[in-house]
Amino acid sequence: MTEYAIDIVNVTKRYADHTAVRDLTLRVPKGSVYGLLGPNGAGKTTTIRMILNIIAPDSGKIHIFGRPSNDPRITERLGYLPEERGLYRKMQVRRVLKFLAELKGVRGKDADHRIDEWLVRLSLKTPEKDWGLSKIDELSRGMQQKVQFIGTLLHDPDLVILDEPFSGLDPINSQALKDTVVDLKHRGKTVIFSTHLMDNAERLCDSVCIIARGEKVLDGTVTSVKEEHGQRNIALALEGDGISGVAAILRDHSLVKRADDSNRFFEIEMAPGADPQALLRRIVESGAAVQRFEMIQPSLHQIFLQKVGATGVEEGMTGHG
Amino acid sequence: MAKLWAIIKREYLERVRSKWFLIATFFGPIFFSAIIIVPAWLASTSKATTDVYNTTLLDATSTGFGHRLAVNIAVDTTIPGRMPVVKVVAPSELTQAESLATREVMRKEKSGYLVVDQQTIAGESARYAGANATSIADMTQIKSAIRQTILATRLQNVGLDDAKLKQITFIPLDFSTERITERGRAGSGMASVLFGFAIGFLLYLSIVIYGQTIMSGVLEEKTTRVAEVVMSSVPTDTLLAGKVLGVGAVGLTQQILWIATTYVLLKLRAPIMAKLGAPTVNFSLPDITLGAGVLFLLFFLLGFIFYSSLYAAVGSSVNSESEARQAASPLMIMIVSTAVFIQPVLLNPTGTTARVLSLIPISSPIIMPIRMAVTGVPTLEMAASLGFLVIGCAAALWLASRIYRVGFLMYGKRPTMKEMARWVSYAR
Repeated sequence: MTEYAIDIVNVTKRYADHTAVRDLTLRVPKGSVYGLLGPNGAGKTTTIRMILNIIAPDSGKIHIFGRPSNDPRITERLGYLPEERGLYRKMQVRRVLKFLAELKGVRGKDADHRIDEWLVRLSLKTPEKDWGLSKIDELSRGMQQKVQFIGTLLHDPDLVILDEPFSGLDPINSQALKDTVVDLKHRGKTVIFSTHLMDNAERLCDSVCIIARGEKVLDGTVTSVKEEHGQRNIALALEGDGISGVAAILRDHSLVKRADDSNRFFEIEMAPGADPQALLRRIVESGAAVQRFEMIQPSLHQIFLQKVGATGVEEGMTGHG
Repeated sequence: MAKLWAIIKREYLERVRSKWFLIATFFGPIFFSAIIIVPAWLASTSKATTDVYNTTLLDATSTGFGHRLAVNIAVDTTIPGRMPVVKVVAPSELTQAESLATREVMRKEKSGYLVVDQQTIAGESARYAGANATSIADMTQIKSAIRQTILATRLQNVGLDDAKLKQITFIPLDFSTERITERGRAGSGMASVLFGFAIGFLLYLSIVIYGQTIMSGVLEEKTTRVAEVVMSSVPTDTLLAGKVLGVGAVGLTQQILWIATTYVLLKLRAPIMAKLGAPTVNFSLPDITLGAGVLFLLFFLLGFIFYSSLYAAVGSSVNSESEARQAASPLMIMIVSTAVFIQPVLLNPTGTTARVLSLIPISSPIIMPIRMAVTGVPTLEMAASLGFLVIGCAAALWLASRIYRVGFLMYGKRPTMKEMARWVSYAR
């Protein structure tokens, strides 16, 4: 038995006018929460579609739980939530869910039972109202998202793949999604999700992979990624006036490689070989009131910007994700 | 297989449950019966109506002529017991009897009254007055009955016995008519032409309706992104097959219901026609053997597969209903240009046009069943037609499944023909 839920080796996928994924190798450990990070058009959706065997790679190999991804037995262990959501609008909720369950090999009474459980759990079925008997287009957007979520998890998949799961979620559903991801992990399931929201990724993921322009930029556990990619960052918080003087110091490229300015809070990446103490002295001398000056691990957000930069975003490729 | 079944089941049940299906299934037979009954009913107005029985016969001959005439007027009827009421009157009381009969007609108790007297027996005159006096058919019927009765009376007077008389005057002439146009005989009989037309129209309608149903269904799955979820669970070929078979089964269900109810309605047409006041028209339903029936359904199914798979491909390659309508226009042209040939083929079902069109998969699903309805088709032609159609279906499915699996994942602008050609070349 392999220890990887997903094992992608040297996978390339080309379209007529561009390469969506180039020589990608990544491994998702079983039981982990894995973030696939990248700007729009980086190749996330293409990668996910190849994992799901919706499209086939031009070269390279993909194994899911040790089996080739085109093994029909695999599909029943996968749950998938696509980026843009929607369901058969004119169909009754319960029938949609039953259909999705049947596609995953869950049938009859078992499916009905699970649907009931989930509807109750996500408050779509209360003593007053059973939304399961309504048509999809009679539901609010939030409720439709819940239904889609049930459809993804109804067959209790071992590997759950969520494409941009947080986009378009209201705060309540967003929290419910986080809770569910944590719950899935506790139950030994593997969760992989793509996102460009680094905060969510940083809080939820055990491991991440950043891809840009179809290529892997880096991967590893969140801890190791942070360790490898700079302990040289400094968190700086200021009080009162004197910010303008600091701004000039931060533009000194002999000291500072780049600074992320959030008005009163700065995340600063030191220039190679520069001394943080020298920076602190200059700031104090400028007369600014320092509230916080701390050597920190960079946030995923910083690492992402540093590694991918603005050039990582290619226009007009959202169709191929 | 279980997954294919799940898809077929969804496609089938969701459509059969819809109001649209119920409405179409209910009104279809009424519509098709109307197509057949209305012309027959119109034709029937050239025959005498039941009005001729609902008359009073004022007999002033005092020879019993009226009774014999009544029998002759009624002799054609299939509704027993209905014949004119005979009133024997003295010539002096005739005026009074006529005004009585006029009032009966005015009160709509009778259609009219007929006066026969010595001059009638002499072959000189008879009078009729009634609400249906302008009906040529009714008047012709009464007139010929009078002639026949006069003739019979004269023969009797020269000493012919009853048996001989019956033998001579009994002429059950069944006069069938056929129109000749500048193109020759107008088909091989009204019933089979109507039947052929109904079949052609039914196939044409079903292919268009269900083809577009499939197209919208595919488009819905694409725009709502359900397609991606389904494709992550089943191969696209299975999805396409499930769709075509599921919707095809809906179409087949509807056809069978339509054919069955239309058949029953036409079987019951005698009472319906009688209610309309027309005697039964003498045409029998074309004899459809079980084999021919199976062939009809086979042509429907293959034609449906041919067109619906192409419609599915179109649905998968576009992003909105309006784009879909545009992109489907080549298919529409193929179907409509076939429909244009329905009439010429009906008129000349064994001509070169008909034979060629029944070999091309684009037109054969509609043209061949029409030919089968109106004429005999040689086995070899039938086999060739089916063979080409099966090959056509395989090609359409192959092409469609390739466009389908790429198109489903392409959003944004509508692809050009060149791009679609390239999709076909993608391995997957």
